[in-house]
Amino acid sequence: MDWSEIFGPDALVVLLSSSVAFAMPTALAAVGETVAERAGVLNLGLEGMLLAGALVSFLVAYYLGSVALGTLAGVAIGVIVGALMAFLSVTLRTEQIINGIAIVLVAQGITLFTFEKLFGGEEQPTVAGIPDVEVPLLHSIPGVGPVLFEQNVLFYVSLALALAVCVLLARTRFGLSVSAVGESPAAAEAMAVSVARIRWLALLVCGGMAGLGGAVLVLGQLNVFEEDVSGGRGWIAIALVIFGRWKPLLVLGGAFLFGFTDALQIRVQAVSGGIASTVPTEIFGALPYVVTLVVMVAATVLAGRDAQPSALGTPFRKGVSA
Amino acid sequence: MRSTSWRAVLVCLATAVLAIGAAACGDDDNGDGGGGEQAGGGQDKVKTAIVLPCATSDPWCKQGFDAAKALESRGDIDLEVTTNAPQDTAGVTRVLAQYAQAGTQLLLAHSTWQDAAFDVAQQFPDVNIASYAFELRDNVAILEEPIYQSAYLAGMLAGGLTESNTIGGSAGQDVPLCHAELEAFEAGAKRINKQVRMIDTYIGDWNDSAKGKQATQAQIDQGADVVIACGGGPATGMAQAIKEAGISGFGYVGDMSSQAPENLVGSVMYNLEPYFEAAVKDVRNDTFRPAKRYEFGLADGGTDLRLNDRYSVKEIPADVMREMERVRDQIKSGDFEVPYEAGT
Repeated sequence: MDWSEIFGPDALVVLLSSSVAFAMPTALAAVGETVAERAGVLNLGLEGMLLAGALVSFLVAYYLGSVALGTLAGVAIGVIVGALMAFLSVTLRTEQIINGIAIVLVAQGITLFTFEKLFGGEEQPTVAGIPDVEVPLLHSIPGVGPVLFEQNVLFYVSLALALAVCVLLARTRFGLSVSAVGESPAAAEAMAVSVARIRWLALLVCGGMAGLGGAVLVLGQLNVFEEDVSGGRGWIAIALVIFGRWKPLLVLGGAFLFGFTDALQIRVQAVSGGIASTVPTEIFGALPYVVTLVVMVAATVLAGRDAQPSALGTPFRKGVSA
Repeated sequence: MRSTSWRAVLVCLATAVLAIGAAACGDDDNGDGGGGEQAGGGQDKVKTAIVLPCATSDPWCKQGFDAAKALESRGDIDLEVTTNAPQDTAGVTRVLAQYAQAGTQLLLAHSTWQDAAFDVAQQFPDVNIASYAFELRDNVAILEEPIYQSAYLAGMLAGGLTESNTIGGSAGQDVPLCHAELEAFEAGAKRINKQVRMIDTYIGDWNDSAKGKQATQAQIDQGADVVIACGGGPATGMAQAIKEAGISGFGYVGDMSSQAPENLVGSVMYNLEPYFEAAVKDVRNDTFRPAKRYEFGLADGGTDLRLNDRYSVKEIPADVMREMERVRDQIKSGDFEVPYEAGT
């Protein structure tokens, strides 16, 4: 096998640019989940938010013929599902794990039902793809340029938003409140930070990011909607948040690492000749999980301290100590 | 504390009801209650149910659904349909058992549901089941899928179309159906063009179209300019990848030409009508048991290569087309047999 067909300069650029593009939906959802969990809410409804975003963005883009409106609609439905999660988990203070799982089940049922009612038995509908755009100047940076700056507009918007959320958490008053609410809600409340308000906002941001992820998957990559099109990306995103130690940049990096090894294994198969290869294909399939796990565990061991928000998963009631 | 617990119970109940409701929405019973009409020939309609693992917008399920509907509209059967049946054995066993209990004579279980089919067949000895099993039981028949025969013809066209002498095939997993399809595609291409090299990729997922697209893109980067796929997700992703790259490909199981009208040379079709017809006839004549393997190849209309007349990436060389049609006739007449390589 000729490794230069994978790691040679030209091949590597192709590999990297395709893997960052395909990792984007997972990355967006994972960054959103980081915000929710940092605020103390374990949102297992992420997969449902991705699916809802995927369906609604597809329908709007299909019927109105506008990718921009479709994307906005995807974000909007994500925010709405986020609001549902917030209403159940923050306002009614019910069990977060059950709320999340219920949201996934409802989303799977409703998206499939809607799609089947609209298009069942017909030819599969498609929407127009969006062309790649080279960013002037930036795309000519050797290495980084062709990987990050020869993608479609939706990719740039997503990358900017994901980074913006990282800054929001690390560098703003809102980010500080989020951490306070997730670590010690009683102390935050004593400092006049409304726990309910911050958790609501965090879940709306989380829903919006996941909804955008669904839109990117369907409008930016596939141009079709299918049953369970999200393919478990929401669950992988939740795992990435844990492995990324609730640090948004690390989580973002983890999502891209996972996407890279996933693209790598498919490429190794293609170069090594698939069935003709002596290595069983199952080994390639396990590669992304193994590599991501090893890197993240190493990162945790090196960091050497517990990073989980103390109040994660616990509903907050004013005046009652935990 | 007391108010929390009743609220928790209330919300859990409400969400559970919602979830169950949404899941139940997936079941689409199209039965018309058996109006007691008689078929044209005065025969009794066979009480039939088809259970599909996906929505009817999915090519695999659409093929099963369309074939059953065709039999219904001809007055051969009374049809009930369940779409989006659960994929796990316990879940689909319940669905099948419900139909068996309701007196359904013929159950078409349109997925690899051997365990569930055996279970229900044992519990309800009167029901006849046709499914994608690996073993026969007295009342469980096997539906074969010899689409590799059409894939061979597709491969011949691919051999004539490729300029890079590189073709590609991607599949969900290395199962006999897909292995045979990809091997036949390669063999067909090599018959026309000895230099052809084929890249095979097993994605490890049947539904993830994004991954399917990535797999085809990796093959395109390796020089592939004509590709095929096996599985719903892999095929949908493949169609999107070839549309973007401007190369050629072949659709899987159903006519996929609307997904990439200019890029799909044609589709490898799987037609279930002869299968269902034969099973219905056997039930009616009491010859279903002992159950058999139903296999309808190219010669019997169970599979074919359907060309897409909007295909415009390249001109198919006339001599290759003629040769393909000649081989198709040979397969139909029994003069040529496509090699079946199902792997280990």
